[in-house]
Amino acid sequence: MPRILVIEDDETTAREIVAELNARGMLAEWVANGQDGLTRALQRDYDLITLDRMLPGMDGIDVVAELRRSGSDTPVLMISALSDVDERVRGLRAGGDDYLTKPFAPDEMSARAEVLLRRRQPQSAQRLRVADLELDLVSHVAYRAGQPLTLLPTEYRLLEFMMRNSGQVLTRTMIFETVWGFHFDPGTNVIDVHIGRLRRKIDGAGQPALIHTVRGTGYMIVTAHETPLVVS
Amino acid sequence: MKVRSKRWHSTSSRLILIYGALFVVWGAVLMGMIQWETTRYLNTVIDQMLQQRMHYIASTDPTRLAATVDAAAAIDPHGIMSVGLFDKDHQPLAGNIDHLPTSLLRDGQVHLLKHGLPRPDRDAERVRARGLATTLPDGNILVIAKDISTIDGIGAIIRRALLWGISLTIIPGLLGGFLLRRGPERRIRALQKATDPIRRGDLSKRLPISRRGDELDQLAGIVNTMLGEIERLLSEVKGVCDNIAHDLRTPLTRLRARLYRTQQQIGGKPEAALVESCIVDIDEVLSRFRALLRVSELEDRHRAACFDEVDVGQVLRQVHEFYMPVAEDRGQVFDLDIQSPAPARADAHLLFEALANLVGNAIKFTPSGGRVSLRVSMDKRGPRVDVVDSGPGIPADERDAVMRRFYRGDNSRTTGGSGLGLSIVSAIVRLHGYALVIGDGSSNGACLTLYCYPLAPEEKAGTCLSRSVPEVASMTA
Repeated sequence: MPRILVIEDDETTAREIVAELNARGMLAEWVANGQDGLTRALQRDYDLITLDRMLPGMDGIDVVAELRRSGSDTPVLMISALSDVDERVRGLRAGGDDYLTKPFAPDEMSARAEVLLRRRQPQSAQRLRVADLELDLVSHVAYRAGQPLTLLPTEYRLLEFMMRNSGQVLTRTMIFETVWGFHFDPGTNVIDVHIGRLRRKIDGAGQPALIHTVRGTGYMIVTAHETPLVVS
Repeated sequence: MKVRSKRWHSTSSRLILIYGALFVVWGAVLMGMIQWETTRYLNTVIDQMLQQRMHYIASTDPTRLAATVDAAAAIDPHGIMSVGLFDKDHQPLAGNIDHLPTSLLRDGQVHLLKHGLPRPDRDAERVRARGLATTLPDGNILVIAKDISTIDGIGAIIRRALLWGISLTIIPGLLGGFLLRRGPERRIRALQKATDPIRRGDLSKRLPISRRGDELDQLAGIVNTMLGEIERLLSEVKGVCDNIAHDLRTPLTRLRARLYRTQQQIGGKPEAALVESCIVDIDEVLSRFRALLRVSELEDRHRAACFDEVDVGQVLRQVHEFYMPVAEDRGQVFDLDIQSPAPARADAHLLFEALANLVGNAIKFTPSGGRVSLRVSMDKRGPRVDVVDSGPGIPADERDAVMRRFYRGDNSRTTGGSGLGLSIVSAIVRLHGYALVIGDGSSNGACLTLYCYPLAPEEKAGTCLSRSVPEVASMTA
C-alpha cells in the first residue's frame, strides 16, 4: 500500500485529500506545517508527497527545494491557490513533479497522485501492452491484435500517455497538460473529440473496448475485466 | 478617432481674427475721422481765401478790373487759383477761365464746381475745384475758383497711412497668432496621444500636466481626477467579480466532490445519470469562474514574464492540429496556410491560448460544412494571423463589445460557451502589445486578424486577407 505524506495547513483541505487518498487505497499521513513536513519526509520513505505551496513557517517551494537538496526523489504534487503560470513554473523548477491549483476536484488530485506513483516504477520497457494493444516506443507504431494502426503524431502521444498510465483515471486537464503541454482550460470538448478519434482507431468493430470514459472525471485505458470504477 | 483641429477653429485663431477685424474697423474709422476733419478745415481755409480774393478783386476800379484779372491770372500759370471775368452774355473778358461755369450760383458764396475746372497746365484736365461767382454792378460776372485736388491728395496720404498701418500690424499679428497657436495645438496632440492607451482600456495612464498651470493643465487635472475615480470604481467592480468567482469556487468544488462521491457509491443505478449531469453543470460553472479569474490574472500580469522568440506559424500549426478533429467532426473545411517563417516576441503558451480561443470560436460559430481558414503571413512590421470563417460574422457595431467580459452577440446566444473567450484573447493581446482586429471575411463570415505588433488605432480599419496581398508579394519578391 503506497504511503503518502500530506503537508497542508488548511484542515478542511487536508481532510479532503486524506479521505480521497484513503478511499483509493493509499495510506495518507497529514502534517500541518512545512518544517515538520520536511523532517517527516526525510525521516521516512514515502511514495508521494502532496505539498501546499503556502505554508506557515516554511514555504512549500523551500520544502521541496530542501528535499531535493537532501537527495530525495520522492514525487511531489504541489497544491497551490496561486494559479498563475509563473507560479507553476516556479513550483516545478524548485523540484515539484506536478502542480495542482486550488480549489481542485478530489478525483483530479487522486488521478494525478496515481500517475506520479506509477512514474516511480522503472519504465525501461520498449513496448507497452494493454490486452492485445501494443505500442512500440522505438518505432512509434501501435498494434491491435497484431495489426499495425496508423496514428497521427498527436494520437501517438495521446496513446502513449494513456498506456503508460493504463488502469489509471486520466482527467481531461491532465491529458491536455501532458500531451499538448499547455496549462489552461481549453473549455470545449476538444479533448473528448481527440479521444473519440483515437478510440475509433483502436477499438475496431468486434474488439473489446479498451478506452473507457470515467463518468464525471475523464478517461482510462484498461482491459475490460480490470475496470474498477464506474465506466461506460 | 483623431481630434485634428481645423485651422480656423482653434480658440486662439478665432480670437486673433476677431481682434484683427476690430483693429481694421477701428483704424478705418479713426483715419476716416482725421481725413474728414482735415478736409473740412482745409475747405474752410480755402473758402475764406477765395472770398478774400473775390472781395479784393471786385473792389478794384471797374475800369481796371480786366487788367487786374489778367494780372492775377498771369501770376498763376498752373491755374491753382483761377480767375475769370465774363460779360452779360457769358463771354470771357479776361482771366484764365475759358467758359463760365453756368451751374455755379452767383450768390457770392463758395460752392463745389459741379464739373470741376480745367487745368491749363495739364491739357485742360478737369480737377475738382471750389469757386464762387458774383455779378458785378455793371452786369459782368467775376468768377474765382481754386483747385482742391491737393486736399484730396491729403486724403490719399491718410488712406495710404491707414493701409500701411494695418498691413504692418495685421500681417505680423496673424503670423504671430499662427505661431502662438502651435503651442497649444502641440499640447492638445500630446494630450490626445496620452489618452490613446486610456481609451484602449489602460486606466492607469494619466494626462500630462505642464508646470504652467494654465487652463489646459487645469482641464487635464480635472480629467485625471476623474480617471482616478473611474479606475478606483472599475477595480472595485472587478474586485467584487473576482471575489465572488473566487469565493464560490471552493464551495462549488466541495459540492462537486460530494456529488462525485455519491455517484461512485450509487454505481450503476438510474440516479447516477442525474448526478452526472449535475457534475457536468457544476463543471460548466467552474470553468466559467476559471475563465473569469483567468482574464483578471492576465490583466493584472505585467509584460514580458516568459517572452521569447516564437515562430507564430509553428504555434498556429499546433492550434490547427489541436482543432483538426473538431472541425472534421463538424464537416468543416479547415485549412492552414503558413506563408513564411513568422518570428515574434511572445509567450508561446499564452499565444497558443489566444489563437486556440480564436480558432475554437471560429469553428463553434461556423455551421457544419462551412469553412475555417487559418493563415499566417509576414507584414513589413511583423507576423499577422488571419482566422477567417464562413459563419454568420460579427456585426460592425458589436465588434468592440465582443471583447468585453461576458458579452455575447445575438448570433451566439444559442451556442454554448462562457462568452469569455475573446476577453481572454484581448487580455493576452494587450499583454503582448499586439492588436486584434475584427473584420469581414471574404464571403459573409468573420475575419479576425491578430497583428503580432502594435497598431495605431486609426490603422485598425480595413479588411482581412485582401489587404495583405501586396505586402506579402513584396516580402516574397
